[in-house]
Amino acid sequence: MSFMDTIGLGGFKGFAVTFRQIFTKKVTRKYPDEKRQKPQRFHGRHVLNRYEDGMEKCIGCELCAGVCPARCIYVRGADNPPENPVSPGERFGFVYEINMLRCIFCGLCVEACPTTAITMTQLFEMSVTDRQDAIYTKNELLVEPDGTPNHSQPAGPLIDLNELKLSDGWMRATSPAGRAAYEGIPHWPGSAGAGVRPPERGQRSDGGEV
Amino acid sequence: MADTPQPELVTITLNGVDTEVRKGQLLIDAAEQAGTYIPRFCYQNRLKPVGLCRMCLVEVEGPRGTALVPSCTQPCTEGLVVDSENAVVHKAQEGVLEFLLLNHPLDCPVCDKGGECPLQDHTVAYGPGESRFVEEKRHYEKPIEISDLVLLDRERCILCARCTRFCDEISGDSLIEFVDRGNGTQILTFFDEPFASYFSGNTVQICPVGALTAKPYRFRARPWDLEAIESISMVDSVGSKVSVQTSQNQVLRINGVDSDTTNHGWLSDKDRFTLQAIHSEDRLRVPLVRKDGELVEASWGEALELVAERLGSVRGDEVAGLGAARSTNEEAYTFAKFLRSVVVTPHMDAQLDDALSDEFLAATLNRAEINDLETAGTILVWAGDLKEELPVLYLRVRRAATILGATLIVIHPRRTGLSDVADHVFTYRPGEGADTLRRLKAGDGPFAEARQALDSGPVMTIVGRTGGAEDPRLAESVAAFARTLPDAAIMPLARRANVYGALDMGVSADLLPGRVSVRDTEGRTALEDAWGPLPEGRGKHATEILQGLKSGDLKALITLGADPVGNHPQPALAGEAVESAEFVVSLDTLLNATSARADVVLPVAGFGESEGTATNLEGRVQKLNRIIPPPGQARTTWSVLDDLARRMGATLGAHDAETIMKEIASIAPAYAGIDWALLDWGEGRDGVVLPGPDGTQPLQHMPVETSVTATTGRFTLHLGRVLYDNADVVRNSPSLDVLVQPASAAFHPRDLAVLAVQPGDSVRLAGDYGTVELAVRADESLAEGTVYVQANMDNSRALGASLIVQVDAVRGEGS
Amino acid sequence: MMDPAIDRVLTRWSPERQERARAVLAAYPERRSTVMPLLYLASREHGYCSREAMVEVGKITGLTSIQVESVASFYSMYRRQNVGKYVISVCTSISCFLRGADDVLAAIEDETNTPDGETSDDALFSVEHVECSGACGGAPAVAVNWELIEGVLPDKGRALCQWLKDTQPETVLADEMQALFGGQQSFDWGIAEPQGATSHVPAFERYDSAGDAS
Repeated sequence: MSFMDTIGLGGFKGFAVTFRQIFTKKVTRKYPDEKRQKPQRFHGRHVLNRYEDGMEKCIGCELCAGVCPARCIYVRGADNPPENPVSPGERFGFVYEINMLRCIFCGLCVEACPTTAITMTQLFEMSVTDRQDAIYTKNELLVEPDGTPNHSQPAGPLIDLNELKLSDGWMRATSPAGRAAYEGIPHWPGSAGAGVRPPERGQRSDGGEV
Repeated sequence: MADTPQPELVTITLNGVDTEVRKGQLLIDAAEQAGTYIPRFCYQNRLKPVGLCRMCLVEVEGPRGTALVPSCTQPCTEGLVVDSENAVVHKAQEGVLEFLLLNHPLDCPVCDKGGECPLQDHTVAYGPGESRFVEEKRHYEKPIEISDLVLLDRERCILCARCTRFCDEISGDSLIEFVDRGNGTQILTFFDEPFASYFSGNTVQICPVGALTAKPYRFRARPWDLEAIESISMVDSVGSKVSVQTSQNQVLRINGVDSDTTNHGWLSDKDRFTLQAIHSEDRLRVPLVRKDGELVEASWGEALELVAERLGSVRGDEVAGLGAARSTNEEAYTFAKFLRSVVVTPHMDAQLDDALSDEFLAATLNRAEINDLETAGTILVWAGDLKEELPVLYLRVRRAATILGATLIVIHPRRTGLSDVADHVFTYRPGEGADTLRRLKAGDGPFAEARQALDSGPVMTIVGRTGGAEDPRLAESVAAFARTLPDAAIMPLARRANVYGALDMGVSADLLPGRVSVRDTEGRTALEDAWGPLPEGRGKHATEILQGLKSGDLKALITLGADPVGNHPQPALAGEAVESAEFVVSLDTLLNATSARADVVLPVAGFGESEGTATNLEGRVQKLNRIIPPPGQARTTWSVLDDLARRMGATLGAHDAETIMKEIASIAPAYAGIDWALLDWGEGRDGVVLPGPDGTQPLQHMPVETSVTATTGRFTLHLGRVLYDNADVVRNSPSLDVLVQPASAAFHPRDLAVLAVQPGDSVRLAGDYGTVELAVRADESLAEGTVYVQANMDNSRALGASLIVQVDAVRGEGS
Repeated sequence: MMDPAIDRVLTRWSPERQERARAVLAAYPERRSTVMPLLYLASREHGYCSREAMVEVGKITGLTSIQVESVASFYSMYRRQNVGKYVISVCTSISCFLRGADDVLAAIEDETNTPDGETSDDALFSVEHVECSGACGGAPAVAVNWELIEGVLPDKGRALCQWLKDTQPETVLADEMQALFGGQQSFDWGIAEPQGATSHVPAFERYDSAGDAS
């Protein structure tokens, strides 16, 4: 049996695919020097937002912890000191911790949050050398009053802290009955740093029906 | 007890299915029993129905066609045709919910009720989903403190009147009510007067929204954080069923559990909020050993070795044990067995000579159950102020007198919590009880009507010491008389949580485990077969033990959750006894006046931290459960004693609490057949009244009348208890500690005039056991010649319980 | 036999009101049933249904103070704030409204310089709008301390206020004011009432409804 018989026409067909790819545009990126544009609703690291006046949005209601399928969130509320309130209302999130090793980045916490206090950002570079460091406390999660986010590691070639300012755009269906008219309302109070998120396709910024 | 008559049954058609229900039963209950839950807000099964919230509307067929009626006010009659699930009913439910939510703030994320809120649940299950209401809701100041324990948020209130009806019907403390009307209707207290009720926590528990919340629980957890377990309240001897709720190994909340036999779901605030003492900073966490006069931390090995050595160095009958009245039966049994078979001493007492005799408490004839109150025709209460001492029993007696219509006779040296609802109230001067009893028996003068009422049975008699200074034999004389009354049932009272259990376990000079007298040779032989040789003769009681320690007859003392220095009627004697004892070891959860002077203090597990059983004041064994670990190195009492026994060269065989219960069941006649499996969930949830189905009670104590000679003296002391005293659990519960009022000396106004003092002035009270100076107060309900002082207060403790006291006005400078 | 607690309260009251209260108490089998007539008596005693008045009624009836307040606050004619010497009530229900009650109210508010629902600074007037006074045939109706005047037009309303300010009568009498400031009456009310009102607290003592024991 000759060589040609062994490889047959099929061999050429296979190589034809290879040759064709040589001339197409490359998909590979030189990460981390070159970063891919992430989708708007990317599920990255969480941040705890503040209102534009600097008040914390978190009220310590523990709905995020309650809904978390990985049981990675630990929240405790406390009485808001009336003379120096931390958040508007009676209660504020006194303790807030997320174990990032357990987190599956499903975003249910964001969906459950009644005040959009917790949102997800585009940063996902969170490698640590100590398991303890993977537990993010309020210090790391909460943005500064001016909207500057905190991170446990300094900015570098891997870590672009600006990504922490890009909140995901999860929209909650505010109507329990599921009436379409309610779904179009971007119920999104302004956040320090992130500002007010522009409406997406099919949404109106004035809260009216589409 | 009278047999419950067979209820008459009728057939109703519920959602197309024929169902047999009790005639006259409320439709809402009948439907629930048949498996159809009808949503409700205002209806609560222990309160009278009012038909206020309209949530329980159902469609009922009537002569003029179908109509929507509230099922909570509709009694079941033959042939009633009900539809609770059709479109008309659903429309009504949606309407009611939309209406209730008009003014409800929907601040569920910050509301303590969120997650366990009937309004939330019903809105999800039956609500319209969306509201047509777009206007501004009504606004009130967010939570206002209506007492030191309860916060009121009027925005959240849906005006169901559960709280006001509880206060009116059940507790009798109507301190909150609806004010204003129409859109302005709100629940309020009277101006700045606080909602100062011993039962305020129950309104928080039954509030169907978050309008009433408890301050100690505020923002501590959300319902989905909580793990709960059923248990028994160990605050008093009623044995109220509770649900102990924890998060992160912290007990955060205690709620009442509805039990037909004991508490009907209600608790006192002391039951509810002393949970703070469980996590007190001052909880003992490591063993302490006295070195150079100071208690210093030590290892368990070192501490137990020392105790074993010191106890081994004295004769067995030179050692005495006090306590176990707040321990589980298993722990008390181990304590008794340790003392009798390892140390070999007959000297032990679960009480501190501050209540009634052991035999009377543990094994009286005609012993009553709490539920005898439900059928009683006449109730005689000749005991301490139940509202102050056993608040849940007070609720049950109050219910019998107000709702069930029993004739209530209250005899006490002063006005009590029950006086308002009693038909006959008699007050007498302490020391003249025997004479009062004689007059009651004879139906003399003012007693005529009451005596007549005592002839219409069944007569339930609740007897106890009305005050610390009263002769305990009076209560037995009352019981001896009560036994002669028709269908008599007698409940002798002691207050500490498991004092009845500890006596049943034989932590007593007179009793062996299972209600056997130490004089019962047969019972003694049976016990010796199991335990080995027992010490000879009758042991010493608490006072005798203290006297023995003082005189040197006794050398060592073991206390288990007891504080003779703080609680014995003769505080000076107790103090000297503990000082002169060669060796004192305390097993306790908190450092108290006695354990602070002990040579070794061993930290043990307390409420919620150890599993076992407890026996309440009717002799009902119920299960206590464990949900959190003890703090630090604290261990369960039985394991400490077992370890100690091993170091002393003996064995107790206490490997775990359940094994101990099995041993109790095989040894203690009254506990035969009792098994944890019998007491846990399901059938046996209400526990078993002893002696159980397989049990026997060898000792049948016949209350005897003792003639107590009347005392002479210008003033006699009524040393009455109040709910919030300076007890260790109260002191370590910050929410309750602020409610403690210092003790005062109360006199009849005419006595004040004779003494020439004004309310607010000071008097010096000198009794046989000590002297104190207290501020004076007027109390019209006292008989002349009586001085009433609150017991167990820091400023009254030193007085002791001396019946006769010398009273002198203290004249300040310039007066 | 009277409870000493009741005596302690009643002895603080004026003799005639004490007597009245005892008659009321004797007329009802249940003490708590007397709460409403006693609230009127206590209001008379204290000028209005003050905190003190409610505490006293609680002590007499055996109710807690808040239960008394619950009753007192349900009915608008128990005043829980002090009011002026003359309470001017303008009916604004349908008939009066159609006949211009709003203008009457505005005129009276202007003349007394007292907004609706408030009391003038000199404590002479309290002005309020009320629901139907039962004088629809003689709309618009105005009452001064519950003495009713029918057919009051805005200028007559002003004149009424001026007259009250000038003369400040101790007793206001319906018939007298009707003659001076009233207009169309629904019908002839019959025999003239000889007694007027001395206070905003209705003088219910005269009627058996308050429990005339005699």
